[in-house]
Amino acid sequence: MNYFSELLGLPVIDSTGQKIGVVNDLGIATGEVFPHVTSLAFRGPGKTPFMISWRKYVDHVDDNKVVLNGPATDIRFSYLQPDEVLLARDIMNKQIVDTQGLKVVRVNDIKLSSSGENQLRLLGAEVGARGLLRAISPLLERVVARIARALGHPLSEDIIAWSYMDLLERSIKQIKLSVSHKTLGELHPADIADIIEKLDPRLRGQVFAQLDTAQAAEAISEFDDEDIRSEMLEGLSDTDASSMLALMDPDDAAEIIDELDYEKAEKLLRLMGVKEEKAIRTLLGYAEDTAGRIMTSEFVALPATATVADAVEAIRELDDDFESIYYVYTTDSSGALTGVLSLRALIVAENTQRLRDLAFKDVVWVAPDLDQEEVAEEMAKYDLAAIPVCDENQHILGIVTVDDAMDVMTEEHAEDLKIAGVGAGDNTTGESAHAITWFAQRQFWLIIWAAACACIAAVLGHLRPGELLFIYPMAFMPVSLLSAARMVSFVKNYFLEYVHPDDDTKPFLGFAVQNTLMGIALAAVVYLCAQLVSAFAFRDPASVAAQAFHWCALIAAAVTLMSFLTAVFYLKVLFWRDDHDLETSGTALSLTATTVAAVLFSVASTSALLALAGA
Amino acid sequence: MKKETKRKLTIGAVLGAMGPGLLAALSGNDAGGIATYSSAGANYGYGMLWMLPVMTVLLIVTQETAARCGCVTGKGFASLIREKFGVRRSAIAMAALLVANIAVTISEFAGIASGLALFGVPATVSVPLAAILIWMLTMSGSFRRIEKILLVISSVFVAYVVAAFLAGPDWGAVGRATITPGIQADPSYISLVVATIGTTIAPWMIFLAQSNVVDKNADADDLVLQRIDAISGAVLADIVAWFIIVTTGTVLFPAGVHISDAADAAMALEPIAGQFSTVLFSAGLVAASFLAACVLPGVTSSAVCEAFGWERGADRSWGEAPIYRGIITAIIVVSTVLVILPGVNLFQILMGSQVINGVLLPVLLVFQVLIAQDGHIMGVNRNGRVWNILTWVTIVVITALTVVMFALQAMGY
Repeated sequence: MNYFSELLGLPVIDSTGQKIGVVNDLGIATGEVFPHVTSLAFRGPGKTPFMISWRKYVDHVDDNKVVLNGPATDIRFSYLQPDEVLLARDIMNKQIVDTQGLKVVRVNDIKLSSSGENQLRLLGAEVGARGLLRAISPLLERVVARIARALGHPLSEDIIAWSYMDLLERSIKQIKLSVSHKTLGELHPADIADIIEKLDPRLRGQVFAQLDTAQAAEAISEFDDEDIRSEMLEGLSDTDASSMLALMDPDDAAEIIDELDYEKAEKLLRLMGVKEEKAIRTLLGYAEDTAGRIMTSEFVALPATATVADAVEAIRELDDDFESIYYVYTTDSSGALTGVLSLRALIVAENTQRLRDLAFKDVVWVAPDLDQEEVAEEMAKYDLAAIPVCDENQHILGIVTVDDAMDVMTEEHAEDLKIAGVGAGDNTTGESAHAITWFAQRQFWLIIWAAACACIAAVLGHLRPGELLFIYPMAFMPVSLLSAARMVSFVKNYFLEYVHPDDDTKPFLGFAVQNTLMGIALAAVVYLCAQLVSAFAFRDPASVAAQAFHWCALIAAAVTLMSFLTAVFYLKVLFWRDDHDLETSGTALSLTATTVAAVLFSVASTSALLALAGA
Repeated sequence: MKKETKRKLTIGAVLGAMGPGLLAALSGNDAGGIATYSSAGANYGYGMLWMLPVMTVLLIVTQETAARCGCVTGKGFASLIREKFGVRRSAIAMAALLVANIAVTISEFAGIASGLALFGVPATVSVPLAAILIWMLTMSGSFRRIEKILLVISSVFVAYVVAAFLAGPDWGAVGRATITPGIQADPSYISLVVATIGTTIAPWMIFLAQSNVVDKNADADDLVLQRIDAISGAVLADIVAWFIIVTTGTVLFPAGVHISDAADAAMALEPIAGQFSTVLFSAGLVAASFLAACVLPGVTSSAVCEAFGWERGADRSWGEAPIYRGIITAIIVVSTVLVILPGVNLFQILMGSQVINGVLLPVLLVFQVLIAQDGHIMGVNRNGRVWNILTWVTIVVITALTVVMFALQAMGY
C-alpha cells in the first residue's frame, strides 16, 4: 500500500469478516519526521462517520481491504487529537508551500510506507504529474509513465517530505505542527516574500499574518511589488504596522512610509517610539532617490581619542537588530569625520591602541542630496561596504550600506533596460517566446507599414482606380519608418550614457544641432540612392511613373529629416519624465515616432500622387 | 491582526467596487449572445421578451453565489471544486470547460470576423491581427490594466440602446410583452429558449465572476458591495440583451426577415433602419466579441491551472508559469486557425459548443450549489433556502430543456 488515493474507499472488515464501512480519512501524529498514521476514519452504514485508533484496532492492510483485529462490537470510537492532522481533510488537494523548493503547490496524492506488521508512515506529498494521473486513474498513470519512459523522459515522482511542507491554511484549522517542521517562518525573508507574491490575495494576507513582527518587517521590505507591499500594510492594524516599521531599518521604513498617503503615514509615525520616529522623519526630509533617503542612522562613530577596547565595547553593546557593522568611524572634538577603521583593523590591533593611530584618514564621503545612483558608483569605485553621508561641516548624518547600494544598482539597471526597450523580466523566457517578444518590441514597424499601405491603397484605389499608384509609397515608406526608429534608439542611447553635470543644465541645443546635421546627411543619402535607381529604371524622366517615384523618394527623405529634427523633443520627454520619477518605456517611444513618420509619409505621398495623377 | 475599519456604504465605495461583476456579466453578451438575441427578435418579435426578467433573476442567483463564494473563501471556483470534489471530478469539469471555452472563443473570433467583414476587412486579415492583439493584451501586465481597457471597450454596448431608439418601436407593446409570459409549443422556439439560457448564463462567467472577486481581495466585509456589483452587472447585461431583441423585433420581424447570425442581423437592418444602425450594430458586435475573446483564454487557463496547482497569473513570465501561458496561447492559436481554415464548418463547431455548454452548465451549477450550501466552506454566509431552491429549480429546468432540445434535434427538427 503506497498511496493514500489507493487506500481511500477500501472496505473496513472486522475479525469476523463483516464489512463495517469504507475508509474515508486517516489521522497522523504531527510530531515526527515521518509521522505515523494514528487514526482511521471510516464511513459506516447510513454514511455515519466513525473514527478509531489505528494502533489499537487495525490488524493489517492489503490491496483490497483494511482488516481489524477484533469484532465490530468491541471497538471503541475516538476523537481527533489536537496534534493530529487528517490527510483527506487537511492535506489532500490543498495548496501547500514546499519550503525546500520554495514553491506553492497543490497536493495530488500522499505517499505512505508500511513499516512492520500494521504500521503506516507518511513519507510525503506527491505534487507532480504522476500523482495527478494516478488520482484520475492508476491505469492512466501506468500507461503515461510507460510512454514517457519509452520516449526517454521518465516521469519522476515529485514528493515533498512532511518536514518540508507548510500547510497554508493551518491558521484557520488551528493545527499545531511539530517542532521538527521547517515552516515558512524559518526561511530567509527574501524567500518568504517570493512565496507570498505567488499566492492568491487572501492567502497572502493569512500567511503574512502568521509571521511574527520581526519576520514581517524583514519580509515586507523584500517585496518587489509596491502594490503587494501596501496591500500587506493595509491588512495590519495601525499598531502592528507601526511596530513593524519601527523594527525595520530606518531607510527601508522611510521608503515604505513614503508610498503611503499622508494621513496614514502620520498616524503610523506617531504610534512608534520617539527614537525611530525621529530617525525616519529625518530621512523623509531628504528628496527621493538621494543618499539621504537610503542612508541608515545606525552606524558606529567614536572620538578619535578612544581606544580599541572602547570601540569593541561600543559594538558589543549594540541592539540585536542593529544594521551590520562594516566600519568604525572616528570624529574630532567638534564631531566632524576624521577617519575610518575596518573591523579587521580593530580585531588585529592591541586593546590599548588609540583609534586615531590606526584610522585611515582620507575618508570618502558623500553629501545627503547626492543622487543614489552616484552614491552606488562611488561605493563601487572605492570598493566600500558602506559609505558615510556627511553635512557641509563633515558631521556624519548616516551611512549607506552595500545592500542598499545593490538595490539601487538593480533598480537603475531595470529602468535603463526598459528605456532601451527590453523588459527586465524577459531574460528568463524561452527562445521561441523571446523571438515573438523581440518582434513585438523591435520590428513592429512592419505592421505599421502594412496598415499605412492598406490605407494609402484604399484611398488611391478609390480615387484613381486601376493605376497601381500605391506601389511607390509602399516601396519608400520603410526608409522613413526605420529612420524614425533609429532616431529613437539614438536618443535612448544618448540619454542612458549621459552623465549629469553638477549645474544641471541640459544639452538640448548641441543635441538639436547634431541631429539636424545627421538628419540632413541621411536625407541626402536616401534621395541620392533613389536618384541612382531612377536613372536606370526610367527611360523617360517626365513620365508619370518616374515623377511618382521621384516624389516619393523626396517625401521619404523629408520625413527622415523631420524625424531627426524632432529628436530633441524625445530627449526632452525622457529628461522630463526622469525628473518627475516616471518610468518610460522605450518601445512606446519608438512606437510613437514610427507612427508619426508613417502618418506624415502617407498623407504627404497620397496627396502628392493625387496631384500628380490629376495633373 | 484584523482590519480595523469596516467599509462604509457610500456612493464612492459602491462605484469603487463596480467592475468585476459588471465585466463578467457584460462579456456574457458576446457574439453568440448577440446572434441568439437577434434571431429571437427577428423570428418571434417581442414574443421572447418575457424571458429576460426571468433570466435576470437566474443570472443574479449564479453571479451572486459566485461573488459570495469568492468573498468568503478567497479562492477561485476551480480551487473550490478541486478541494471539495477531488482530482477526478475536477479533471472532468476542467476538460469540459477547456473544450467548451475553446468552442466559445472560436465563436468570438467568428464574430470579430463577420463584424469586420461588414466594414470590408476579410477574415484572413482581421482574425490573425485580432488574435495577435488579444494575445499581447492577455500576456502583458496586470489584470487591472486589462480590466480598464475592457471596460472602455464594453461601453460600445450603448450602441444597441441607440439602435433600438433609431428603430422606433411601439413602447407600449414592448412593455406589455416584457411582463406577459407566453410559451409556444414550437421545436425551434424551445431550442432558441435553451440557447438564450446557455448564452446568458455561460459556465465560464461563473469562473470569471468569482476569480475577479478573488483578485480584488474582497472579503466577507465587502459582501454588500460585491452583491450590488453582481446584481447591477446582471441587470445591465440583460438590459442590453432586451434592447437587442427590441431592435430586431421592431425592424426585422414585421418584414419577415430570418437571420442565422449577428452579421446577418446588421445587414438586414440597413435598408430598414438606415446605414447608421448597421454601423452601430456591427461595431457593437466586434467590441463584444473582442471583449469576450480577451477574457476567455485567461479565465480558462487560470481555472485549469488553479485546479491542478500550477502557477498562474498575467504577471508571471514564461519561465514561471509555462503551462498557464501555454494554454492561453494554444486556445488563441487553435481558435484562430479553425476560423481561418477553409473547409471547416463553423456552424457545426458553434452547435457543438452550445451542446457542451448546455451539458456543462447544470453540472457546474450542481458543484456550485453544493459548495455554496456547505457550512464548512461558507460558514454563516452559506446559501439560504430561497437561493438553494432557485438554483435547484434552475438546474432542473435547464436540464429538462436541454434534454428536450436534444430529443428534438435527434428527431430531426
